[in-house]
Amino acid sequence: MTTPQTTEQARPPFWRDIRVIRVAGQIGAVVVVFLILNWLISNLINNMNRLNISTSFDYLFGPTNFQIPYDPQFNPRSPVWEMTLVGVKNTFLAGFFGIILASIVGLIVGIARLSENWLVARLATVYVEFFRNIPPLVLIIFFGFAVFTFGPFPILSESWEVKAPGSDDNLLLINNDRWGVPGVTQDGSVAIFWAILAVGIVAAVLVWRWRTRNFDRTGQPHHRVLWVLGVLIIAFLIGFFASGQPFDMSWPALSENRRQVVGGFEVNWGFLSITIALGLYTASHIGEIIRGSILAVHGGQSEAANALALSAFQRYRFVVLPQAMRIAVPPTINQFLNLVKNTSLGTAVSFAELTALTKTSIGNGRPAFQSIVIMMGIYLAFSLIISLILNIVNRRLQLVSR
Amino acid sequence: MKRSKLLAAMAALTLVLAACTTDTGTNGGGDSDGGTLQAVLDRNELNCGVNESLPGFGVVDDQGNFSGFDIEFCRVVAAAVLGDADAVSYKPLTAEQRFTALQAGEIDLLIRNTTWTATRDGQEGVHFLFTTFYDGQGMMVPAASGHTTLEDLDGANICVLSGTTTELNLTAVFNARGISFNPVVFEDNSQLRPAYEEGQCEAWTSDASQLGSWKFTLEAEGGEEQLIMAEIFSKEPLGPAVADGDTEWAQVVNWAVMATVQAWEFGLNSGNIGSYDGTDPNILNFLGTDNFNPSLGLPSDFAVQVVTQVGNYEEIYNQFAELAPLAGSVNDLWSNGGLMYVPPYR
Amino acid sequence: MTAASPPIHRETWIEQVKKNLFRNWWSGLITVVLLPTTGYLAYRAFKFFFINGQWEAVQVNLTLFMQGTFARDEQWRLIAQILIFGLAFGVGLGTASGAAHDRADDAGLVFKRSSLADTLKRMWSLVAFIALLLFFASTDETGNLINPYLVVAGGLGLSFVGYQAFRLPRRLRNLGWLLTMVLLVLGFQVVSGFDAESWVPLSLILGSAAYASVPTEMFDTAATRQAVKVLAALGAVAVVFAIYRVVDAPGIGWDEWSGLHLTLMTSAIAIVLAFPLGLLLALARRSTLPALRLMATTYIEVIRGVPLITLLFMGQFILGFMVPAGTDLSDITRAIAAMTLFTAAYVAEIVRGGLQSLPSGQTEAGQALGLAPPTIMRRIVLPQALRAVIPAMVGQFISLFKDSSLLFIIGITEFLRVRTLVHAQAAFRGVAIAETLVFVAIGYWAFAFAMSRESQRLERRLRVSR
Repeated sequence: MTTPQTTEQARPPFWRDIRVIRVAGQIGAVVVVFLILNWLISNLINNMNRLNISTSFDYLFGPTNFQIPYDPQFNPRSPVWEMTLVGVKNTFLAGFFGIILASIVGLIVGIARLSENWLVARLATVYVEFFRNIPPLVLIIFFGFAVFTFGPFPILSESWEVKAPGSDDNLLLINNDRWGVPGVTQDGSVAIFWAILAVGIVAAVLVWRWRTRNFDRTGQPHHRVLWVLGVLIIAFLIGFFASGQPFDMSWPALSENRRQVVGGFEVNWGFLSITIALGLYTASHIGEIIRGSILAVHGGQSEAANALALSAFQRYRFVVLPQAMRIAVPPTINQFLNLVKNTSLGTAVSFAELTALTKTSIGNGRPAFQSIVIMMGIYLAFSLIISLILNIVNRRLQLVSR
Repeated sequence: MKRSKLLAAMAALTLVLAACTTDTGTNGGGDSDGGTLQAVLDRNELNCGVNESLPGFGVVDDQGNFSGFDIEFCRVVAAAVLGDADAVSYKPLTAEQRFTALQAGEIDLLIRNTTWTATRDGQEGVHFLFTTFYDGQGMMVPAASGHTTLEDLDGANICVLSGTTTELNLTAVFNARGISFNPVVFEDNSQLRPAYEEGQCEAWTSDASQLGSWKFTLEAEGGEEQLIMAEIFSKEPLGPAVADGDTEWAQVVNWAVMATVQAWEFGLNSGNIGSYDGTDPNILNFLGTDNFNPSLGLPSDFAVQVVTQVGNYEEIYNQFAELAPLAGSVNDLWSNGGLMYVPPYR
Repeated sequence: MTAASPPIHRETWIEQVKKNLFRNWWSGLITVVLLPTTGYLAYRAFKFFFINGQWEAVQVNLTLFMQGTFARDEQWRLIAQILIFGLAFGVGLGTASGAAHDRADDAGLVFKRSSLADTLKRMWSLVAFIALLLFFASTDETGNLINPYLVVAGGLGLSFVGYQAFRLPRRLRNLGWLLTMVLLVLGFQVVSGFDAESWVPLSLILGSAAYASVPTEMFDTAATRQAVKVLAALGAVAVVFAIYRVVDAPGIGWDEWSGLHLTLMTSAIAIVLAFPLGLLLALARRSTLPALRLMATTYIEVIRGVPLITLLFMGQFILGFMVPAGTDLSDITRAIAAMTLFTAAYVAEIVRGGLQSLPSGQTEAGQALGLAPPTIMRRIVLPQALRAVIPAMVGQFISLFKDSSLLFIIGITEFLRVRTLVHAQAAFRGVAIAETLVFVAIGYWAFAFAMSRESQRLERRLRVSR
């Protein structure tokens, strides 16, 4: 607003000078926020001192004093930070498997909503409208009850055992408390195997590049997936035998007193309830995102695919979905973030995730403020990691599109 | 010049904030200037932290009314202090947040089946008063299982409520004996009971009083026969608690609560206390009819109010069929071999 | 001869079934698998609802589910609230319908008014839920104060009366909006009471409304007009204040609310309080001042990065210590504070989306007219941006409504936690657990579904109108 020849007199008075207002406004805002924060925190410290509540983080090194559900390896004398780590692990596991379930079911539901089969489309709509409008906490409690407590499964000591054909090993151990699935154990020479497999992976990447370049140059079918799979399988086999078969399958079985699952990998009902409930809940949101994204792909694209006589599968796989995914990925990852945050409801089904353990810990006399701050920090870290992935994916998608 | 204007503005802002800081109300419980007693009298209502879903101790009926053993003692304090047993505002609290509520002054008094422990007395800033109920942790199993000792439960799933001393006791006892176990932790009994009945856990641990009432309920509804193991593996003195640092209020609550036991000892109950015409000087003191006033901060007729409006300890106890029979239990009067023993009122 | 029109082929139902269910072999296969599965599930659900379900636990405790431990002899307040909100709903709907009519007139279009019945049809899930409540209430022998049928009929009747607001002449349209606002505040205060500082919100609304709507055409100078407006606003505030001085009727503050009433009110209160905060945060995040932007961004990202339950824990365990000793913040106040702070971050992102979606030409046009930046924001940008974010705000409200079930975990007796109370009663100790859970789920579902339908409809209409 000022002209270049402005003299000192021609400048507006300072309270109308935009530069001064800007600086003063910012200083004012910072000061106000600082004062409010300062007031809150000084109150907090005064009150905690007055009531003789500990403000130190030493408690992290004191004993936990309670047994973590479904974690027999955990020693109650272990320090509180180890308990926190168990919580982080369980939160991660529930989030990870929940995300996988939500993605699969969400994709199916999103496509099913656009199905030409009336029944399929209708059921998918009912699914979405049902799950989307019920609080996740209610769903978690419901799945805990409906599937496990009141469900069809027997009690632990009378587990159903699904045998592998022609052997005595259990493929699956099912009851209303914890399920056993086959696991893998490894011995000392496993390092050789991993080293060989790593070489195999590098080789596979190189093969992928080679096939791609070949395709770009000559236009011959690349069969990248087949090639890479082949390389990986060969590397796996070489590694497996060269290192003297370091892996062994471990089959789930009931312990002698029929109170534990020995061998295999054990998942408890709280984990299953929360993973299924949150997976299905989030899937209803993801389904809507997928459907919206498919609808957002220009109709001409489908028509073009039809004109090329692609089958319905090919049309989806090669024309519609790749374009829809670009639109769908950012909101879907936001849903993943919500899912991870919702795992904090594990306390409803005796699932020992971060929030449930922190809550129990506070209830048993650990300082609330410090515990909650640590818990929030961990969730924040989870969120930041997922946001980071979102940003990377976004950038890649944009590179592809331009 | 610019600077000074800015500084002046900031100073003004600080003053405003400071003003906001200083004139915030002081109507809470806790540590306001007049003490909790004065705050309660000014408010003419007692804020009492309770449990809203513990059979026998605190439940809410379909009309929204609170009832239970703990609830009655909230009423006792209200009757003693305010002369009206109904002048109580009940605040349902979870196990985790009860001490915070007390410290922050949200409630004047906590009567929520709270166990008196050293940590809570010290670290949580809570002051425990006269124990109204002596309990202990027990273990219940279906009788058909044949288990009779804790050792029989090696490696078993055990149902327990979250955020209570029960969880800690369980861990301590089992660890001390080298028995392994798996706690299945629930938020409330409405989830825990089906899990126990459907066999998700083999045993149910809680305070013995609770187990007794659940045993009764389960069997009465045609369920399996239940066994409460003979071993009681913890001491659980349950009683009222107030915030640290207000002795006047602690004293008032303590004597109001103890008056129920004293009345029982004197043989006074809600039926006969109004028509007492004897000459026992101790009883006359107790009734406040001869202007005896030990300056506790309570009206001289507080005991009469308590007993007529709520009842003596025995009457209160016997209202709740869920609790184990009083006679011969640890909660019986000292003269009958129980633990209910109060200092003399004189 | 004109070309013969193509023969109209009416599909027989067999053809329809074939087209919709058995178009090709895998579609047929899916149908064959899904049909019996669906049928079986429907059969199980039917059996649960009508044959095996023990609904006494819900029936006997219906009032407990609705209002929790709210004092029964103050129940008339809740009934008055339902009636006033019913009237407010009608007036608001009627005014909106009238406003839509006005716009159609301006555009020279024929306007087809959607009646109140249409609205109720759109909200069928809610109507069904209320019917379910009435069904349970009719078998309830506990003797409620007032027949629930009368309450529902009264609420419907009043909303019908209120709906007649569409008949108001166009220049009184703002009056309709004003009346809706006043009724909403009144409906709130009939429960919370008219004492203490509760005159502030009503006087603010009335004052700003008077400022905006007082007719000033007869005055010549801008200064006089301004003065008249200010006087009108002050007058309105004075009137409200005077009324509140005379009518000192204490009520039941939100500390004593519970049940479904609390669930609905906490979500509503939190979103109303979060809106101004979210708006400020959005403006700060979009501002060119780096300090403001940094603070707003930090706040928004931190809050969005943590689960609501951690903030509720913060509220329960720590907020009480962040105010001077002796300040009484009830658990519900602290929970509402946590929900508000949480929602504000999401509202900020929604508003920011609305601001970003606005073409920059709008701002530039304002600048070309020589308007000051705040005026551009207030007169040009915000009205359009806020209109565009209404559906997303409804979505956020639904999400908050569902999230209010987390108050269960921190021990506040909201809708879900009433179950805990019910199952502690001697008669229902640990029995009929699935039934009460299903009832609660239906309650949540009915509200959330009705609102999500409404938000989808708003979204469609806004898209069309652009």
